[in-house]
Amino acid sequence: MKYFQNFIITALVIASSFTTNAQSGSYNGFTNDETVLYTMNKQVGQFVKRFNMEEDQFGKDLSKTDKRYHSSELRENLLPGMFDKYNPRTSGTLKTYFVDDVTKTDNPVFLNFLDKNWYAEVSATFTANGDEVNIILYLTLEEENLGSKWIISNVWYSYFPRLFPTPDSTDQSRYFLHPMSHELDFMNLHKALERPERIQYYASNEYRPDFLTLFFYQTKIGQLKFKQINDVKFHFFQIPNWYFELSYFNRNDTNSGWLISNLKYINDDEKKELIKTYNLCTSKE
Amino acid sequence: MKNIAYILIMVIGFGTTSLFSQDDLSPERKQAIDSLALEKVRDLSKYVSIIGNKETQWSEANRVIDRAEELFMQGSEIGVSSLVRTEINYYDIRNYFERLMRLNYNKVEIEWYNIEYVSDLQRQPDGTYVGVITIFQKFKGYDKEGRLVYQDTTKKDITVYVKRKETQIGGRLIGFWDVLLGDIRVKETTM
Repeated sequence: MKYFQNFIITALVIASSFTTNAQSGSYNGFTNDETVLYTMNKQVGQFVKRFNMEEDQFGKDLSKTDKRYHSSELRENLLPGMFDKYNPRTSGTLKTYFVDDVTKTDNPVFLNFLDKNWYAEVSATFTANGDEVNIILYLTLEEENLGSKWIISNVWYSYFPRLFPTPDSTDQSRYFLHPMSHELDFMNLHKALERPERIQYYASNEYRPDFLTLFFYQTKIGQLKFKQINDVKFHFFQIPNWYFELSYFNRNDTNSGWLISNLKYINDDEKKELIKTYNLCTSKE
Repeated sequence: MKNIAYILIMVIGFGTTSLFSQDDLSPERKQAIDSLALEKVRDLSKYVSIIGNKETQWSEANRVIDRAEELFMQGSEIGVSSLVRTEINYYDIRNYFERLMRLNYNKVEIEWYNIEYVSDLQRQPDGTYVGVITIFQKFKGYDKEGRLVYQDTTKKDITVYVKRKETQIGGRLIGFWDVLLGDIRVKETTM
């Protein structure tokens, strides 16, 4: 915490040193709100760099030979300030355990831009047949040729699970094409095709609907029309035994910008299950 | 003239075409590119202040809009939202500046905070580097009686594209890094 206080004090000094500026209309002297802007995690990338202790208090990259670079001691002091302090989910003792875990001197954990298993969640409004609906798009980074790009890895639209409700096993067991159907030129297939509400029962028990394809299809035929993006947040799974969520806090406070808004201690199996939500349509594990 | 100066800086900084294949950025090279990108962002800030200033003549403002447009990659957009209306309005670059020029205030003050944050550069699939520079602006609009009728502070996240290019000077192929601005996200802050 001491480092975070020093961080703010340094920001105050920097702000007050700008008594004149070449740009027209700059502020004379110190203003409190500039301190807020200095301490704010202004970009997701800045959150990552502060998390790793890879930049100084001015936002400038630290050289790898700088003793502050990746310093566990400094990270221990800096990391508690990178949580949403007004949220009980991220301000309790769990936070302390998390900080201890990622700053262990013998096995520290850092975040990297090209890590697998971090996802963006974009909440957006679409119109469906004239009505506004909320749809969540999940995105992840994929490497391609010389660089990387964000790809849509999954989608959540409440209408799709209604189309494919969790099957009732008793009900499902009554509907099938018997094994000799081929001898009758599948004449019984019409029973499946004329009852669309149960059509998925005629697929494999392993069948799982691909909501992303449904989403693309509905968008292509004009049933879904994009209106606006409402919110963006990120989910980080790359730290062993931990999951955290990163959200943007737009407030006039030194605890603002991109901050950890949820933190969970989870085992690998739980993590895999959660990742399925974000990652249904990529080849990543 | 300024562009030529940039190119020369790049030549001195990064050498000639023999280095052209060296696409990975060393920290020193990244720093030089950051300075170049920040220079473009400062040009943009200066143009915004001129275009928004009610004392700027219409013809001069249009000339500055032309200059401002040259900073951007074709097809770039500015997406604007406010605290009261989270819906994002998208404008193409020219349209955004023309709206700024026509704002219905008697006097406008545009101030820039002394804070700029430059991201790392990441490569996209075609090899072009992409980064984001964040700056903050304070806007104040006054009516005929000199009363402050509107003010906001906005965070501007500006996309920066950096591409290795080459040009022929005096018969020699010279490699340089070209920097263009891209989409800008303008978000009102609570300050």
